[in-house]
Amino acid sequence: MILLAKLALGTLGTVVAAGGVISSEGFVSVRVHEKKPGGTHVSLILPAMVIDSGLHFVPKENLRDAAEQVRPWLPTIHAAIDAMKSEGDTTFVEVREENQHVTVATRNGAIVVDVDDDGETVHVSTPLRAIDNAIDQIAAAGPKN
Amino acid sequence: MNKRLQLGAVLCLLVGVVVMGAVAVKKTAAASTPEKFIHVRVNDVSKGEMVSVNLPLSLAEKVIPTIHNGNLHNGKVTIGNVDMQDVDVRALLAAVASSPDNEFVTVKEKDQEVRVAKSKGNFIIHVTDLNSDSDESNKSDKSDKKYEKRGQKVDITIPISVVNALVPNEKQELDLVAAIHALSNASEALLVTVHDGTQEVRIWIDSQNDGSK
Repeated sequence: MILLAKLALGTLGTVVAAGGVISSEGFVSVRVHEKKPGGTHVSLILPAMVIDSGLHFVPKENLRDAAEQVRPWLPTIHAAIDAMKSEGDTTFVEVREENQHVTVATRNGAIVVDVDDDGETVHVSTPLRAIDNAIDQIAAAGPKN
Repeated sequence: MNKRLQLGAVLCLLVGVVVMGAVAVKKTAAASTPEKFIHVRVNDVSKGEMVSVNLPLSLAEKVIPTIHNGNLHNGKVTIGNVDMQDVDVRALLAAVASSPDNEFVTVKEKDQEVRVAKSKGNFIIHVTDLNSDSDESNKSDKSDKKYEKRGQKVDITIPISVVNALVPNEKQELDLVAAIHALSNASEALLVTVHDGTQEVRIWIDSQNDGSK
């Protein structure tokens, strides 16, 4: 009985620790809702760590071009992301047209893009830290200077 | 004697509390200095379109020095072919800044009016161009009485402290970061408005993070 309890405790501890690690980077959320009858509804919530891990499996030669383009802008990107992290929630861009509404904002340490038009609504939220890490990984994929 | 001692101790305590309170209030005030945002709002009434951009000045202050592209390096823009060797721009600005509020330049033509003035620590430029009809879309809806009014009106208000910070140095560089820093220390203000037919552009500074003003 005690052995079972120890096993259960061990399993629970592992699950909690794994959950903590997986959610440490936050979550990427994507929601697409087509407004037409029978339209597609997609709602996806992924641990941001998946981006990080996923990039490890992308062949480096496929990231070489992106790495070369992004590398000169790394200091700018890092400075922008750091500043966005230290700011409170901010709506950076809002575009309102007759049939469309687009916002780009930071909410709780994530960059959030919302698009609402006649055909569909799209919501994408990505933690700033995950973007920062992903960009670092992409930049590291290019040839070393 | 004992009562005097007690009174003295109470007075010392009171003075201490007042001094500590004042220090705490000062610290709180310094810590709670609100973040300033620069807002750009473009409105087109005829199309029902609105574009709003809100940028924290601290973000711009941190990001601009990291950009090294074209004439922009370390937050400074190099202005190439401007010959200002014979003009002491700083002395000129200092003279204008210390002079009383005044309208310095007024140009009136048939369809255009330009005014340059100094008022309450700001440079103010007004341009009215009655002939301007730059928006192609306006030409197509001439039958629409609602948007019949033509002409362009530009109002620019820039704090003198910002202009001082922006003035080129010996290396012919404009210090953008210093200008942004001066802007964040300036009071909330409407910097630019442009009215052009059905379009309106506004640029202003305040502490709202969503440009809801």
